[in-house]
Amino acid sequence: MVTQERILEVLRTIDDPEMPISIVDLGIVERVGVERTVVGASVDIEILPTFVGCPALGMIENEVTEKVSDLDGVERVKVRFVFEPPWSVDRISDEGRQSLAALGVTVPQRCGDQPLVQVGVSVACPFCESTQTHMVSPFGPTRCRSIHYCEACRNSFEQMKRVGGA
Amino acid sequence: MQELSDKLKAPLTDLLLSIADDKLMLGHGASDWTGLAPILEEDIAFSAISQEEIAHAAALYEVVGTMHGRSADAVAFGREPSAYRCAELTSLGDDFDWSRAIVRQLFCDHFDLLRFERLARSLLKSVAALSKRIGAEEATHVEHADVWLIRLGRGGDESKTRAQAALNALSGAAAMLFEPTDGVDVLEREGIYPAGEGSLFDRWQEDVGRVVAEAGLTLEVVPSPADAVGGRRGRHGESFTGLLDEMCEVYRVEPEAAW
Repeated sequence: MVTQERILEVLRTIDDPEMPISIVDLGIVERVGVERTVVGASVDIEILPTFVGCPALGMIENEVTEKVSDLDGVERVKVRFVFEPPWSVDRISDEGRQSLAALGVTVPQRCGDQPLVQVGVSVACPFCESTQTHMVSPFGPTRCRSIHYCEACRNSFEQMKRVGGA
Repeated sequence: MQELSDKLKAPLTDLLLSIADDKLMLGHGASDWTGLAPILEEDIAFSAISQEEIAHAAALYEVVGTMHGRSADAVAFGREPSAYRCAELTSLGDDFDWSRAIVRQLFCDHFDLLRFERLARSLLKSVAALSKRIGAEEATHVEHADVWLIRLGRGGDESKTRAQAALNALSGAAAMLFEPTDGVDVLEREGIYPAGEGSLFDRWQEDVGRVVAEAGLTLEVVPSPADAVGGRRGRHGESFTGLLDEMCEVYRVEPEAAW
């Protein structure tokens, strides 16, 4: 019979469609429930969207459903999107932070309930670690990223927006 | 979702639709600027904001759809014009006048933030969690509109004149944002849409007024008479029907089509 661990292993192979980071490292997998039935396992997976109605959600739902359904003994897979608890950058794993940094996307440290975007706060450059940086725009190439510029190494880079409370 | 009594279902539907319909119209109108905004970064920003408006609307249509056993798309595009609850301001065109686009956004973003602050304290837990999350995103829209109005107001003579003209032109429609949806008082009493300190109108005037003053501009919004009927109760003007027809053109060809 399929186990929760086996399902998580599969989820670890699924990357966010917009970034090279697994959905488990991104911290959006909130719950994996496995219920045994006579015909096989019924799997319920709860996912926390990073942003409301993020356009990648449909792709994530399809890939999760497809790959988990392929496991032996799985009869039914249901993916649900929930907003409680709210996703935040605090949920990104250390490994995930490293693969994002390699792409030029920095992830703020613990953010707690701070606002999504903080104007006037310098973010460390993921390339040279200088804090002589400024925000170019809070709206980047995807809805969860802002654009920054490093005056030390003169590179543009991005930051995952903090997501705390309202 | 927790079980809702029939007494609360209709007013909650109206309230959620008023927010979702506002955002659908606003996002659709603002998306006209994609490719045309003043600078590249702003093009990305304004497109992202339009996308978020539609995404917020979609999430709210999903909630309403679940309450009524319909799909979010059917709720969004499959209603008679009189069943929409948006205020006229959200469908007013801007003729590609950037000041008007920003002022329209400023008025609506500040109002949305206040509505989501209230809904985030709702006794309906699923609505509260979603609203808290949307509120966090809405705060970035507010920041964006504030920064732009101040930039326009403190810019050259032309930008200042045009920003002031946009404030004057849209102040009348702004008052009708506050037209109450039917039964909203019941939702307030039952803790579904808890009232906060001060009326929404007073809070909005204070928030928007602060930004307008910082921009060196002026704004006077005269409250609408209590019995004025507008979009919140299904009475719409031509700007709305035109935009709705444009938006639903493809949907109406084959409403049940799967994409």
